[in-house]
Amino acid sequence: MRKRCTVAFTAVILLLIISVYTNLITGTVVIYPADILSAIIGKTAGTMEAGVIMNIRIPRIIAAVILGGALALSGYMLQTFFNNPIVGPFVLGISSGAKFTVALTLIFSLSGGRKPGAVSLVMAAFAGALASMMFVLAISVRVRSMGILVVCGIMVGYICSAITDLIVTFADDSNIVNLHNWSLGSFSGINMSDVAVMTVIIAVCLIISVMIIKPMGAYRLGENLARSEGVNITLFRILLIIISSLLAATVTAFAGPISFVGIATPHLWKAMTKTSSPAVMIPGCFLLGGVITLICDGIARGLFAPTEVSVSSVTAVLLVPVVIIVMIRRKREND
Amino acid sequence: MTDRITNEKNGEGLHTSNLNVGYESDVVKDISLAVSPGKIVTLIGPNGSGKSTILKTVAGLLEPRGGVIMLDGLSKADIGSKEASKILAAVMTGRINPELMTCKDVIESGRYPYTGLFGKLSEEDVRKVDEAMAATDTADIADKDFRNISDGQRQRVLLARAIAQDPGVLILDEPTSFLDIRYKIDILTRIRKLASEKNIAVLMSLHEPEIAMKLSDTVVAVGDGKVLRMGTVDEVFTEKFIRELFKLGDMDVRLLGRLWYTDGERLSPLGDSNARHTYCSADRGSRSRHIMVMGTMSNVGKSVVVAALCRIFARDGYKVAPFKSQNMANNSFVTADGLEMGRAQVMQAVCAGAEPDVRMNPILLKPTDECGSQVVVMGKPVANMRAAEYFEYKKSLVPTIKAAYESLSSEYDIIVIEGAGSPAEINLRDNDIVNMGLAEMLDAPVLLVGDIDRGGVFAQLIGTLDLLEKNERDRVKGLVINKFRGDADLLAPGIDILKEKAKCDVTGVIPFMDLNIDDEDSLSDRFTRREPKEFDIVVIRLPHIANYTDFDVFEESDDISVRYENMPGRIGKPDMLIIPGTKNTAGDLKWLKTSGIADSIVKLAAEEVPVFGICGGYQMLGRNISDPDGAEGGISETGLELLPVDTVMSSSKTRKSFAGRICEPTGVLSHLGGREIKGYEIHMGQTEPFDRVFEFTSEGSGYCRGNIYGTYVHGLFDENMVAADIVRAVSELNKKSVDISALSDRTGYKQSQYDLLADTVRKSLDMDAIYRMIGYNDKR
Repeated sequence: MRKRCTVAFTAVILLLIISVYTNLITGTVVIYPADILSAIIGKTAGTMEAGVIMNIRIPRIIAAVILGGALALSGYMLQTFFNNPIVGPFVLGISSGAKFTVALTLIFSLSGGRKPGAVSLVMAAFAGALASMMFVLAISVRVRSMGILVVCGIMVGYICSAITDLIVTFADDSNIVNLHNWSLGSFSGINMSDVAVMTVIIAVCLIISVMIIKPMGAYRLGENLARSEGVNITLFRILLIIISSLLAATVTAFAGPISFVGIATPHLWKAMTKTSSPAVMIPGCFLLGGVITLICDGIARGLFAPTEVSVSSVTAVLLVPVVIIVMIRRKREND
Repeated sequence: MTDRITNEKNGEGLHTSNLNVGYESDVVKDISLAVSPGKIVTLIGPNGSGKSTILKTVAGLLEPRGGVIMLDGLSKADIGSKEASKILAAVMTGRINPELMTCKDVIESGRYPYTGLFGKLSEEDVRKVDEAMAATDTADIADKDFRNISDGQRQRVLLARAIAQDPGVLILDEPTSFLDIRYKIDILTRIRKLASEKNIAVLMSLHEPEIAMKLSDTVVAVGDGKVLRMGTVDEVFTEKFIRELFKLGDMDVRLLGRLWYTDGERLSPLGDSNARHTYCSADRGSRSRHIMVMGTMSNVGKSVVVAALCRIFARDGYKVAPFKSQNMANNSFVTADGLEMGRAQVMQAVCAGAEPDVRMNPILLKPTDECGSQVVVMGKPVANMRAAEYFEYKKSLVPTIKAAYESLSSEYDIIVIEGAGSPAEINLRDNDIVNMGLAEMLDAPVLLVGDIDRGGVFAQLIGTLDLLEKNERDRVKGLVINKFRGDADLLAPGIDILKEKAKCDVTGVIPFMDLNIDDEDSLSDRFTRREPKEFDIVVIRLPHIANYTDFDVFEESDDISVRYENMPGRIGKPDMLIIPGTKNTAGDLKWLKTSGIADSIVKLAAEEVPVFGICGGYQMLGRNISDPDGAEGGISETGLELLPVDTVMSSSKTRKSFAGRICEPTGVLSHLGGREIKGYEIHMGQTEPFDRVFEFTSEGSGYCRGNIYGTYVHGLFDENMVAADIVRAVSELNKKSVDISALSDRTGYKQSQYDLLADTVRKSLDMDAIYRMIGYNDKR
């Protein structure tokens, strides 16, 4: 098991390096490998290539990795919390809740002539994410069915999207373009100061996640046994909810709703390592989620260049098959 | 406190008192039960009766809705879930489907309470996990995925996980559901073994009553939102009760094999509230008559008055039995069935000419320390409890008391009931089961006895009556003044005033009698300091001394002194030394050594002074006392090494009557060989010789060498001139002349004392009035 994990981690890190490199050099402006280093050390400051690298590509790559990792971690935590393999921030409507409040904030601020700051967007998103989470929780307490939980989450998602669309309909034309891009999910337009904010928030979440590795391990055997081993279940569950919501909210605030990374990554990682130990899962999911999202973003940018496809479309097309395979395999195991 | 928690092997198991459990409302109320280490307590009851709810609450998965859960003597609410999880582990129902976990991962998670922030296993943790896997035979499936093993294997892995938690208390909810026979047997055998080997207190629920019947030490039947019955298997599994509990009606149940014991098989019939009807219909048409004797305080001579009444009624041709619901005494007697009861009721039964029977004393409390007692119910120890705990627990004993009484009542004409302490202990009036509470329960007339010897008898009697409720006062049909010395004429005016003030008849005045009959308990004056007489016997007064009536026979001669000593300086040079029985062998042995008495004993032995060890004292005479199972706290001690024997403590208690003989006594007693003796054995642990030694008492119950004699047999001095012959032999050796005529035949002597007692009391009391109280208008 240990060997398998080492191989898996090495593979993901290699993949990360390769995709970072690929993402750096590809795009509408052609960058040569030699330009990268000189841009980073500031030798060619002021040139267009350096500007593209430093202000556009690097922030975007970092954002894609961090936010993708955040999504995957959020998905893993939600799957742990609900003891349900087919949930994730997108499916449960948590991303949509965040999207709704972010859209509201954007429209009100923009029509007031101001551009909202990164922190206030994250806070708005967090509020929306928590609201959806509470709704889903209320349902899950009443019906202990995986299927119904997911259906309710998807319906919450639709309601939020519908209201968001309604608001967009009545918004000023000039804002619509802006909103439209964002609401489909995209890493374009992220700058270095956005990256700083998201790094801080997600780093905090990551640290707390590492601190709860032990109870997460115990929780795999179910609430009753975990409780009998002395796990403070209430505190543990509150932490899971807050962290997974905050992670999903941060992603939505900066990149809009990105689908299926949250559900699919934990399963891919488990298939690679053949373990469910949280000490392996937490760093692994984060890394793998980052790599997957980065690759998808590369595809979104490169596929029909110079036109960008929404990253969510790419993740959906690539990851939905994974989710379907997981569901089929699980059904087979249960029978 | 932490020490105590982590050292769970010395735990006190699990207790609950007045626990209420449920979700939005109470499902089961007033659960007071005790699970001792090494014991299996099983909950039985129909589906939905709340067994799982009880277990979930005890395991901490549900909040208690009232009452207290005690783990290792500490309130679970106080110690927090983390510490609690080091004491209590659980295997609950409900399918566990962890993804990608090996069996070893599952078992390792049991170490959760012991690991640090990131759950890394220490060497100790790894060792405990290996032990748990060895104990459950799960090592070979350690690396398999938990989801891919059979149900039986899963249950073993979950059991291993719980064992890895190193618990003192184990909760198991339906551990055998869904298992085939082979795994059922496998799991249950392991549970039984783990409980006794690791000294774990096990509380579990079982669907199958026929299994509970075979496996449990104690069975708790749950139904109708309460604990319906609690007791040993033969007490709970009675046909009527099981049919009611599971609502079987008159279904044919033979398909399942035996589900209950029939009347002849159970040791003690215990009934619920409906039992009365059964007994009544089986009766000769009416219940017996009864009278209850209460005292204004302890030691007024209640038990002697009861004994006298028993003998008087018996001599008048009635079939009589004594009854005392609850007795607090260190000295117990073992009946022919191997059950423990208070000695006072035995003495009364002998007076009544009846065979001693635990039903005469259904509850016996044997004090273990300042505020705790061993609770013996219907002759068998149930648990050790604190005073407060027992106060709560005793409510659940009401059906037991009633049933014992009803059962006696169907066999005897008259039952003389003895109260305990004073009926005016107004702080203990609630849930009283010994005094007025019992009198009311049984609708008995009451005689109130006061002690004039200790003074203030009028205040005692009138004050007691004043503190009683009106309906209770009405129960008191007569007053008795006991232990009167002096001129009856002087007392007469006082009696008239007493009658008037108390508005109650005075049934009589009993003179002070210097009788030599078994006394009840440790409150006697046995331990007052005495001076050596011509023939001097020293009994070592161990801190936990027990069964000291063994030596009473020697006190009958005026030439013999029996001194109870606890200081080396006071021992002197006796003619004989006795180490008596104890409730705590290892502890008292340690005390013996630190107090310096051990040295004195060894020195006296070297001077060829005869040394006797009875029961615990016998164990101390040996080389080694080991306690591998932790039966008495797991302490091993080196003995005095005067006899080449070793003792191994075990948690099973030997209780039996003894009828055998003295085999090949050595030293000064050599001429006693072949003498028949009678007595009883009551001890934890077995003692075996490891070197050449002579059999002192038969059946391996005692050995001797030189002048050192050890035996498990209590009461061996009592009969057949054994005491007299020992004294004669020793005094000849020491060239002393001792009058041993009074030691002759203790049994015959006792009977003459009882007759003397009955005669005196009959003369002193208005027996016609007493017969009227119990409903016989003319005495037969």
